[in-house]
Amino acid sequence: MRRFLLARLVQAGVVAVVVGTLCFVLMRVLPGDAAMRIAAGRYGPDAMIAGAAEKVRQELGLDQPWPVQFLEWLANLVRFDLGHSLVTGAPVIEELKVQLGASLWLAAAALLLSLLIGPAIGIVSGLRPNGWADRLGLAGSVTLRALPPFMLGLILMLVFAIWLGWLPPAGFGSWRELALPSLTLALGLAAVSSRVTREAIATVAKAPYFAFARHKGLPEAAVVRRHGLRNAAIPVVSYLGLQAIYLVEGVVVVESILAYPGIGHALVHAIVERDIPMVQGTALAMGLIFVAVTAGVDAASAWLDPRLRRA
Amino acid sequence: MNAPTRIHDLSIADLSVHSRAGPIVRDVSLSLQPGRPLTLLGESGSGKSLVAQAVMGTLPPELTASGAIRLDGADLIASTPDERRKRWGRAISLLPQEPWLALDPTMRIGPQVAEVHRFVRRQAAQRSETLAHENLRDVGLDHASALYPFQMSGGMCQRAAIAIAHAGGSGLLIVDEPTKGLDADLRDSVVARLIEEVDAGRLLLTITHDIGVARALGGTVGIMLEGRLVDHGPAEQVLMAPSHPYSQALLSADPRSWVRSAPVPSGDVMLAGRGLAKAFGDHTLFEDVDVEVRAGEIVSIVGPSGCGKTTLGNILLGLVEPDAGTVERRKDISLLRFQKLYQDPPAAFPPHQAIRKGLRDLVKLHRRRWDEVETLLARFQLQNALLDRLPGQISGGELQRFAILRALLLDPVFLFADEATSRLDPVSQKEVVDVLLEVARDTGLGVLLVTHDRALAEKISTRTVMLARRDT
Repeated sequence: MRRFLLARLVQAGVVAVVVGTLCFVLMRVLPGDAAMRIAAGRYGPDAMIAGAAEKVRQELGLDQPWPVQFLEWLANLVRFDLGHSLVTGAPVIEELKVQLGASLWLAAAALLLSLLIGPAIGIVSGLRPNGWADRLGLAGSVTLRALPPFMLGLILMLVFAIWLGWLPPAGFGSWRELALPSLTLALGLAAVSSRVTREAIATVAKAPYFAFARHKGLPEAAVVRRHGLRNAAIPVVSYLGLQAIYLVEGVVVVESILAYPGIGHALVHAIVERDIPMVQGTALAMGLIFVAVTAGVDAASAWLDPRLRRA
Repeated sequence: MNAPTRIHDLSIADLSVHSRAGPIVRDVSLSLQPGRPLTLLGESGSGKSLVAQAVMGTLPPELTASGAIRLDGADLIASTPDERRKRWGRAISLLPQEPWLALDPTMRIGPQVAEVHRFVRRQAAQRSETLAHENLRDVGLDHASALYPFQMSGGMCQRAAIAIAHAGGSGLLIVDEPTKGLDADLRDSVVARLIEEVDAGRLLLTITHDIGVARALGGTVGIMLEGRLVDHGPAEQVLMAPSHPYSQALLSADPRSWVRSAPVPSGDVMLAGRGLAKAFGDHTLFEDVDVEVRAGEIVSIVGPSGCGKTTLGNILLGLVEPDAGTVERRKDISLLRFQKLYQDPPAAFPPHQAIRKGLRDLVKLHRRRWDEVETLLARFQLQNALLDRLPGQISGGELQRFAILRALLLDPVFLFADEATSRLDPVSQKEVVDVLLEVARDTGLGVLLVTHDRALAEKISTRTVMLARRDT
């Protein structure tokens, strides 16, 4: 267990350095003048912009050679100091707290919704492969997954906010604002997790130990509960780990479309405004969340499957 | 041990099993009484498993049974699915093939036995655990209740499955290929265990293709071929003086009754390993092993499963690096001419490609001529029509002969046959071995045969290397 935690900590450190470096390099090679963009972000584009840009450049040390800037950022990182936003001047860590908090709510709501939809449909489909529930599930899954998240978001917005008027199309505050973005994400997640669950259940139902459990004389409910669910959960849980990637990707797009003030939204704005510390801090937070999620998935898998605990 | 529910008689009368295409088991009549086990022998596809499934009530839905199967008077064929299911575990137990696959990989053995008391015999949780512990103790597994199946050997899994049958207290035990995947030493202990079941008053119906098992169990033996019971009677009589030509062929295919015919080396050393050692983690497989194979000879590596036989062969082929020692291969001979024959023929062919396509591609890639394939086909008695079938559509013996043919197209000087006949029934095994012997003799091919079957190794190998299992 200690070795497991240590390995994850090392992994988190590596992720931090790699993500930070990549962001730094990518932001440098973007075309256009960073100081100009930052000035525009702070004061708005006007006639005085050239002068303002010059001041920004000097103030933020953007005229320094890039290795100096990079080392400075790294040194700060080691002190857990993510720096200040170039645009608002607030500490990045404070901005992250607000935006990350909002995103985590969104992600958690989406994951929870998808868990209610996906595995349930999957179990029903998998216990009777090629039955009508299975076929319907497949059709729904293909349709939902074929739609890019932004399209799905727009459709849900049209239906629930514009036509039916049940939910606000954008914004932040209560569960009503959370509903559309999280449903958009959840449907995409459930589209695939239902199929993964279906496969897992169908595979387990064909396994010799499932047949043997029946031949022992166990009632069907006990066979499914004691020998079906746990075994089928093993691949599903690993897959949920992969869905974290989809969630990170989806959060960026969905938040931008639905104007939800989360970390994805922040990242897109920070890139546009060349707010390098914000970009680095945001990407770093996302990377670390990713490490945490995979660690959680690994721990859950080991709990489910004793064969993984052998090592 | 729970005293088994007494069952006095299982009688099968004119049992036929029909598929949509026609009958696949025809007019089988058998009977089984306490104290006298019944063993059905036959190759895969002979219908012996279908007979067992008809008794158990687990025939696939597309098959229907006719005739009568009576268990102490109750007609099993006329039963509804619910009635059949109620008998499982309580009146009839099935000891599955390869029990290590039939035990839940994520549950400890104790609970897997206890749940039978809990859910089948409706005992309280605490009491179920105590009873399960007794069941495990009866089969010598009292220390194993906290183990998972992957932590147990094949023999232990087999005994755990027997403990589960005891827990249900059923009076009829159906055993499906009890020695599949077990080596010879374990086979004897499994058979001894089954005889104990008979002595405890259970009816025992065993399905096997292993003549050794039938002989050791004694009682009544039935031999099945193409869905018919072709020979049936007391074991001594059927196994010593078979009346049907197929029974005779089956018995003469048992390696123990072969005439020894080891090929004589016809040339130089093709491949040699000196001072080889290999360990996986802390577990040492073997140390300081010397082995050499000359042209035209068959060298066998014999030993129980897990002793490193296959690893040794793979080291000689250069597929695995040894921890110590060297492998000397003739430098002037292309590596392509050192070939391997795999244990499970269907796994060595792409499942959705007709055999002809694979062979044609091979001929093209290595600039051979199709004539050579035709010549080999004739020599191995493989019909041309088989070429257009998928690997799953021909028998294991035929497929393994195709595998040899495929290897021979590369003009090998050395062939590593890794348990190449252990998954085949005796008649197919004999055919494949005859082909190997003939090739070694005629072409000077050096063969390294890895097997757990000591009798087989003794009959056909020029020399034998014995490996023992080392326990850490």
